[in-house]
This record gives sequence, structure tokens and C-alpha cells, in this order.
Amino acid sequence: MLAKTNQKAALVVALIAVIYLLLSFNLPAYSNALIDADVIPKGLGFLLLFFALLLYLDKKNETEADKEKRKISKKHVINLLVVAGMILVYIFLLEIIGFVLMTTIFIFVCSLYLDYKHHVTNIITSVVFSLAIYGLFNYLLKINLPAGILPF
Amino acid sequence: MDAFSGLMSGFEVAFSIEGLMFVFIGVFVGTFIGMMPGLGPISAIAIMIPITYSMDPSIALVMMAGVYYGAIFGGSSSSILLNAPGVAGTVATAFDGYPMAKQGKAGKALAIAAIASFTGGTVSVVLLMLFTPLLSAVAISFGPAEYFALMFLGLTAIASLADGSAIKAFISATLGFMVVTIGIDAQTGTSRFTFGNPNLLEGIDFLVVALGLFALAEVCTLVLNRNEKDDGQSKNIGSLRLSKQDVKDMSGPVSRQSFLGFIIGVLPGAGATIASFIAYITEKKIAKHPEEFGKGSVKGLAAPETANNAATSGAFVPLLSLGIPGSGTTAVLLGAFLVLGVQPGPLLVQDRPEIFWGIIASMYVGNIILLVLNLPLIPYISKILKIPRPLLISLVIIFSLIGVYAISFNTFDLYMLLAFGVIGFFMRMFSFPAAPFILAFILGGMMEQAFRQTLTISNGSFGIFLDKPIALSLIGVGLLTILFPLLKGRRKYKVS
Repeated sequence: MLAKTNQKAALVVALIAVIYLLLSFNLPAYSNALIDADVIPKGLGFLLLFFALLLYLDKKNETEADKEKRKISKKHVINLLVVAGMILVYIFLLEIIGFVLMTTIFIFVCSLYLDYKHHVTNIITSVVFSLAIYGLFNYLLKINLPAGILPF
Repeated sequence: MDAFSGLMSGFEVAFSIEGLMFVFIGVFVGTFIGMMPGLGPISAIAIMIPITYSMDPSIALVMMAGVYYGAIFGGSSSSILLNAPGVAGTVATAFDGYPMAKQGKAGKALAIAAIASFTGGTVSVVLLMLFTPLLSAVAISFGPAEYFALMFLGLTAIASLADGSAIKAFISATLGFMVVTIGIDAQTGTSRFTFGNPNLLEGIDFLVVALGLFALAEVCTLVLNRNEKDDGQSKNIGSLRLSKQDVKDMSGPVSRQSFLGFIIGVLPGAGATIASFIAYITEKKIAKHPEEFGKGSVKGLAAPETANNAATSGAFVPLLSLGIPGSGTTAVLLGAFLVLGVQPGPLLVQDRPEIFWGIIASMYVGNIILLVLNLPLIPYISKILKIPRPLLISLVIIFSLIGVYAISFNTFDLYMLLAFGVIGFFMRMFSFPAAPFILAFILGGMMEQAFRQTLTISNGSFGIFLDKPIALSLIGVGLLTILFPLLKGRRKYKVS
């Protein structure tokens, strides 16, 4: 029975270590190198495995505060997933639609979704912020953010 | 160039109109971001990096230094006013700062914090100026073995000093090191762990990791806690004036902790957080009335505030003289240096004196600006904290995305950023500290290179580490810092 979080976390870490080690052992060898590209990765893999073992053996109970930190209501999980989804949509459309429009829409919609009720302030902030950042980067810093469907 | 003429040329950079303007911008933005609950100097520096791309490196770094100590100071304001430290380095500030604010003396508390920060900052800059060239002169003889040993020590120190479980900190550091092995190996050209994805050949940019693990992960926490009411904030912050007794109470802790904080800041792994806690504890121990601590004591507020600013300058010593960051924050700062094409290290004083002395001079100026900026602005500062959380969340997300996009112009990196945000969130949930991860990520590449160079010199024999006394002793200390917390953890467990 793996009741304790530390043990579960240790198994996840060990799994990462094993996958990483498998990949390290499959690295192509380079005959002329004295110390080849796989030396450090192999070392790191075994080190991580060792630490995972230590974590597994660590019987220290979690503090209440640690446990409290992980209690997330279903509503909050949905909140996080929706915000992550919005970020994905933003990234996907950024180069197609353009920075100014996407950023304006993102700030407005994301703030609205997170229960920001002052719509006028929200619109002003999102428009002014995206235009200001776009101006700062494109004209002052000469870093061109994607213009997208807007002509400027 | 001797120190005096060097400093004078540094002041020319810092006092140029551009220099002053960017120190001001840096300090202001740093204070602002540092004040946001949860957003600390790492996020502040990472967010500001894209702004510096097209700037002159000396001016850009002067600004970055301003962002760094501005963020530390900003953290104190939210500690005092809201009991919500923006940065770990200002947690101890809240112990006496917040009770003072609750008594209606927030203005006085902020003024004490500003003056203590100013003194700690200024004294330690003088020490920084004296120490760094000395250490550089020693470090110039270092070979790859010594560098490897130094970085090893830096990494083990931060992992063992991290709050919480030492094992988790070591796991975090190992994972950070693993992530940096992704990409083409510089020595053999082998592509490692790229799964044939061309976007991964050059490795993952440190901004992706820094902004993901810190800024985006913080966004998740903000989303969860956004409805918490900021209670206890008194509308009236009261007078800023200090009485003669206050000044007298402050003078002891401030003068002691300026030095102690600096020394702790120089040590690898120990930074503003540890300096501030040690300052608080020592002052409480030697105080005549220790029972006043925690109830709004002037000493209890002045001590950590002095120490965290002194440690901030102290942390620049290894960064500037050895090119090795001792903390997560200075690791990100090192990233900022490298983005601008500046390699800090023993040769910096000789090769780029304008940058080295410019940064030092800017710290004098920056500390004065911090004081001038903060004292009169204190009443307004308290209002900044009222930015609605939903807007703050959206803006931080956008800042992180722009920061990454502006270096690579590649949406693949943005997806990676989101992935690191998720990793950072889970690390927080399960109490794995993120600072060792980012430090290992920054040091990893250099460590691997130094390690392989060393073994190439010795023809593959590990005996070379035994032949070099400096390297051997540094590695020895590093191993002890790993073993000590592990053993201590065992024993504590047995006792309980």
C-alpha cells in the first residue's frame, strides 16, 4: 500500500530516471571522444535513481500545511485547465491572427473568466496594454511581434 | 585600471542620462513586480530580459541590477502591508513589520525598511567593490577542475539549504541538470534526447525554464487563491517619521547585519532568505528585550531588512568574480548577462571594465534612488497592491509569453513554456523547490564542459581531482553539504 505521497512521488521520479537512463544508453558513441556525450547523462540517471530511493525510504510524515496545499476543489481544477486551454489557443493563433488582437482578446477573456466584473476597466486595460507592448517592442526595441491580420 | 579610476568610469556610466534613466526604470519596475505577492526577483529579471535585447550591455545590466534589488525591496512592502511576502527573502520582514502596520504604524515600518535597506545595500556595495577584484585575481589561476568543483559546491549548497526536504531539493537539481543535457552536445556533436525534433537541437532556452517554473507556476497559485480577501490592510498608514529612540534602536542591528548579511550573501547557496532569518534570530538572541520581537519591534524589522539587501549585493561577488551564480536569482541574472553577450568571471574586470564598474557604481546610485523613490511614494505604493487579481494573472501570463517569443520567434518554445509551467505547478504541489532546478539548469552545461575538459587533460583519470588541493577541498565540502542534511534528517526521524 502506497499511502504516503513521498513514496508515490519517489516512484514517479524513479520512472523518469529509468526512462532517461534507457535513452542515455542508446546514445550513439563517438569513437574519438575520450569522455563521450553519454557519460554525464548516465551519471545523472543513476544519481536520480539513488535520490528516488532515498525519497522512497524517507518516512517523514507530511506537515498539515503541505497536505493543505494539495487540496484543490474541482472548480479550481477546471479553472486551471480552462486557463491552460486559453493559453494554448493564444499560442496557436498568435502568428495567424497577430499579437495585438490576440493579446487584447486574451486579457479580456481571461480576466472575465476569472470573475473580473469591471468590464470597462477590463476593455481599457486589454486594449491599452496590447497596443503599448506592441509599440514598445516593434518601434522602440525593434523586436517585431507578429502583426497578423492587422496592417501595422 | 585601479579601483578608483575604475569606479569613476563606472559613475560615468551610471550618471549618464541613459544610465540614470534605466537605473530608475529598473528599480521602479523591480519594486513593482517584487511587491506582487508571489512574484519575486527571478520573475522580475526574467520578464525584463526581452526589453534589454537591443540595449547597450552596460546600460542593460545596470538596469537589471536595479530590477534585482528593487524586487527585494518591493517584497518588503507587501510583507509589511499585507503580511504577504512577495519574495522568500522578505518573510522575516513580516514578523515585526506586519504587527507594526496593524498598530497603524505602517508608514513608520516602511520608512524603517527603506532606511535599513539603503544602509545594508550601501555598506555591502563598498564591500563588494573591495572583494570582487581580489577574488577575481585568485580565480584567474583556476582551471576546469577548480571550476567544476566550485559549481558542484554551489549546487550542493543551494540544494541543502533550500527550505523543506533536502532530498527533494537534490532531486530538483538533478532534474534541472538533466533538462540541460537536451540538445546537441557541444563537444561531440551528438544530439541528445531531441527525439528528432529540430526545435530541440539547440537545447531549451533558460527563459523558457525560468518563466515557466516561476512566473507561470505562480500564476496557477494566484488562480487558486484569487478570491482571498486582502484583509488587515489599514487605510491609514500613519506618519513616516522616526523618533530618536527608533533611530537608536535601529543603529545596532543595521550596522551589524550590513556586514553579516553581505558575508552570507557571498556564500554559495545562502542568499537573502537565509541572511534575513539569521539576522532576525541573532538580533533576537542578543536583544535586551527579546520578548518585543514579533510584536512590532523596530530591531526585529530593521535586522532582516538590512541583511536581505546586504546579501543581495553579496551575491554579486561570486557572480562577477567567478562567473558562477550562488542562487536561483543570480543564476537567472547570469542568463541575462549571457543573453547580452557578457561573460562574467575573473576576466570581466580586465576585459569589460565599463560593465564591471558600471554595475558597481549603479548600485550606489540605485540604492539612493530606491530611498528617494520609496519614501515619498509610500502612500501610493500601498495602492499598487490593489491591482485586481484576474487582471494581474492575465498580464503575467502575457508577459511570460512575450518574454519567450521575443527571443526565439518560435511558437514551439511557447508550448514548452506552458509545459514548464505545469511542471513548476506540480513541483510546488509536492514541495519540490524550484530554485535548485534553475541553478542546476544554468550551471549544468558549464559543469559538464568543465568536467569533460578536466578528464581530457588527465587522459580520463579521476585522480586529477585529488591532485588539485583547491578542487579537492571544494568537492569535499560539497559532499559534506549533501551528506549532512541527509544524516541529520535520519537522526531527527529516529529521535521523534
